[in-house]
Amino acid sequence: MISLIQNLIDALSLGSLYALVALGIGLLFGILRLINLAHGDFITVGAYALIVPSTEAVAQLAIGGFHPILLLPSIALIVVILALLTDALVFRPLRRAAQPSLMIASFAVSYIIQNGLILIYGARPKNLNLWPALTGQIALGELRLPTLQIVTIVTTLVLMIGLALFLKRTSYGVQMRAAAEDFRMARYLGVRGNLVIGMAFAISGVLAAVVSLLFLSQTGSLETGLGVPLALFGLVAVVIGGMGSLVGAVVGGFLVGAIVTLLQAYLPVEMRSFRDAFAFAFVIVILLWRPSGLIRAKAFDQRV
Amino acid sequence: MALLTVENLHVSYGGVTAVRGLSLSVNEGEVVSILGPNGAGKSSTLAVIAGGVAPRAGRVTYAGQDITGGRAEEIARSGISLVPEGRHVFATLTVEENLAVGTYMHKGKADIAGVLERFPRLKERRDFPAGRLSGGEQQMLVIARAMLAKPKLMLVDEPSLGLAPLIIDQVYDILLDLRRQGMSLLIVEQSTSRILKHADRIYVLRGGAVQLEDTAANLRDGEAIKRAYFGFDEGAA
Amino acid sequence: MSRFQTPLLLIFGMVVLGGLASLIGSEQLNFTLTEMLIRMVVVIGIYLFVGNSGVMSFGHIGFMSIGAYATAWMTLPPEWKQVMLTGLPVVFQDNTYPFPVAVLASGLAAAGVALFLGIAIMRLSGLAASIATFAFLAIVFSVYSNWESVTGGTSSVIGIPTVVGPWIAVGFVCGAIVAAHAFQVSRVGLMLRASRDDEVAAQSSAVEIVRMRLLAFVASAFLVGVGGALYAHFLGVLTTDAFYLALSFVTLSMLVVGGLQSLTGAVVGTLAVTLIVEVLRGLERGLDLGASHIALPRGSQEIGLGLALALVLIFRPSGLSGGKEAAWPRKRG
Ligand SMILES: Nc1ncnc2c1ncn2[C@@H]1O[C@H](COP(=O)(O)OP(=O)(O)OP(=O)(O)O)[C@@H](O)[C@H]1O
Ligand SMILES: [Mg+2]
Repeated sequence: MISLIQNLIDALSLGSLYALVALGIGLLFGILRLINLAHGDFITVGAYALIVPSTEAVAQLAIGGFHPILLLPSIALIVVILALLTDALVFRPLRRAAQPSLMIASFAVSYIIQNGLILIYGARPKNLNLWPALTGQIALGELRLPTLQIVTIVTTLVLMIGLALFLKRTSYGVQMRAAAEDFRMARYLGVRGNLVIGMAFAISGVLAAVVSLLFLSQTGSLETGLGVPLALFGLVAVVIGGMGSLVGAVVGGFLVGAIVTLLQAYLPVEMRSFRDAFAFAFVIVILLWRPSGLIRAKAFDQRV
Repeated sequence: MALLTVENLHVSYGGVTAVRGLSLSVNEGEVVSILGPNGAGKSSTLAVIAGGVAPRAGRVTYAGQDITGGRAEEIARSGISLVPEGRHVFATLTVEENLAVGTYMHKGKADIAGVLERFPRLKERRDFPAGRLSGGEQQMLVIARAMLAKPKLMLVDEPSLGLAPLIIDQVYDILLDLRRQGMSLLIVEQSTSRILKHADRIYVLRGGAVQLEDTAANLRDGEAIKRAYFGFDEGAA
Repeated sequence: MSRFQTPLLLIFGMVVLGGLASLIGSEQLNFTLTEMLIRMVVVIGIYLFVGNSGVMSFGHIGFMSIGAYATAWMTLPPEWKQVMLTGLPVVFQDNTYPFPVAVLASGLAAAGVALFLGIAIMRLSGLAASIATFAFLAIVFSVYSNWESVTGGTSSVIGIPTVVGPWIAVGFVCGAIVAAHAFQVSRVGLMLRASRDDEVAAQSSAVEIVRMRLLAFVASAFLVGVGGALYAHFLGVLTTDAFYLALSFVTLSMLVVGGLQSLTGAVVGTLAVTLIVEVLRGLERGLDLGASHIALPRGSQEIGLGLALALVLIFRPSGLSGGKEAAWPRKRG
């Protein structure tokens, strides 16, 4: 019973991270039809922004030393600026480009960011213990829950509720949803395309920033490729959930979290290292079984 | 005074040429119709006017300003509203949210409630996702949405497509109402009968060019339209 | 004659390149040239699928990995395999096979996997298929990095006979050019290209398009697998992470910079990207200008490549070749 609950919490907290990543990717896909392979690198930048830029082996906190109330907005701001710059410099000139070009462009952005980080911070991983207080446990009777996991789950819930309220209750949110469904029609009704896309990049950046802090608190290690696996799993989640549906992205994220946790817990030991391979194979299976994912978005037009 | 003029318009998609050398105009307060068979380039023409497609050549002037190749959202904000072919409702948004999207470009409070009074069926379903409305209701919704954008010129692409005659009548009642309020309309249709009744002037398009242009009164019997439409007997006239 | 001018011109170019390199005879140059030519085999292989079908693949480096390890299994000395790769089947553990057999078999292994994968995913729409290829790459990487008893896991496989030099590589590039050209002017190739340009307008049925895509996919995986094998016999050392995102990026850049839609593009793009990378790499090592030593910091080379790719996508989306094939200058007349 205890181990079951623990597994459940594991699944929920891992799923939370994936859901946040998937939302960031899904939001841009919904509006731009862009599969942003650079989303993971937004996350990485959020983590590196905590320390003093230098190629020294030992990380020195910069923003990372701020009080959390200042730290969070600062990191979010940096990642948002990066995301907006990416849009302005790369994706805006490609508005009319075909989908493969967009995907390749995001691959290029990813490559540039990763190597930019190597250039500034060096290629070696660095230890960084952000918020040691979060590594403790909360005891609930016999049940001992890692604080960090609870924080992760709660943060994700708060962010998702915030995002849902924004999308549902504000005029910009409604415009974003309209643009995600039918970008051209939205523009015919006066919705400013670049503004909506900018907002999507900005929100995606905020989500990435939060993920970077949560993830870094878990691993305690900075590495220029740290966001890549997260982005891959996020993409998996988006595909499984249904491309173009934000609810789908969240569902997909939690599902992937659950699958990975289950595989980790119940695969025979000698198979455990193939966990990721199973997860990716599952993507192919889902694509074959339900090409539009579990939650079907309005059939998206390939021509647009 | 022409509200809208299109001069010598050419549109192509990759290798396919859709419009070649088309010119037309719409005067203030006028209802103008474009007729033509499938693939004549009607929708492409509207798309260029509304800024959804960039033309290869030609000029679009609206209220004295050159808007050729302008951005769709800016053109919409300057007072042109397009109701594209095929009822582009935002399917997962509610009816009311769909209507709201039409109003955001105006800073002041928009009159969604007032418009809903005109469309009782939409009013009943205001919290429904628009994707679950019937075809006729969706057509009403897109027109209502365009109305809320308060355009001076509304471009309507095949409003009667796939609708029952009774519903088509209702759609046209609304369009004529708009005209009475001083709006100019450019309506694309494939069927002639209603257009002959309601339009002031008619252009017949085929192969991306204007084949015939005249007042509805002069074309009343429909014969000339038929000839231009199907391309029979061109020299005989 | 005119039908064959593109492959002839390209082959001529490669032979001249090989000749020049052997005249200069610098070891460094030979190394770079050979590596480039092997990548060219891979890029031509990817082109064979992507260029003809119009479906983007992010997974072909997985086939390269398959080819590279397959040839290692066949050509490593048995004593080494029996100790280090204990999970290999006995036929591989006890025998070594000659280079040509091993390379051919490696290509076939990749093609076999492609057939299996392709039957599943070729019917997906363009986007879904692209994502599936991406997932495939991640699967291959994950499996090969963790299957210690067969691939050595994260430690490297060493001691593969290094028999590939510039001329062998030129030979394989020529073979790849001939194969890719033969495919694209074949009936299937032409029909597939028509379906690429407009899925609706193409006269062929959906089932037929899927079958043609599958054929292109398998053929292209064969070439890429061969490329992987050549790479193994060039470096002599394999690690699994050599065949992941970075190499995928470099090869895709080559394809896009040259132009996705033509064989000439694949060749020109490989040349151009290699040139860019080598120049930047040189600058990273540094220049001595009088008394001062100026060097770009580490990472500049990759950033430069990323920028070059982004610039091409934005300003010349059809690549350096403009989607056209190499041809003799027209006679005036
Ligand atoms: N996005 C597009 N890409 C490629 N070709 C297009 C596109 N849109 C239209 N066309 C082509 O342009 C031509 C004119 O199309 P258009 O939609 O303007 O015609 P239409 O008169 O509105 O026809 P219909 O009555 O069938 O709606 C057609 O041959 C069509 O195939
Ligand atoms: Mg039309």
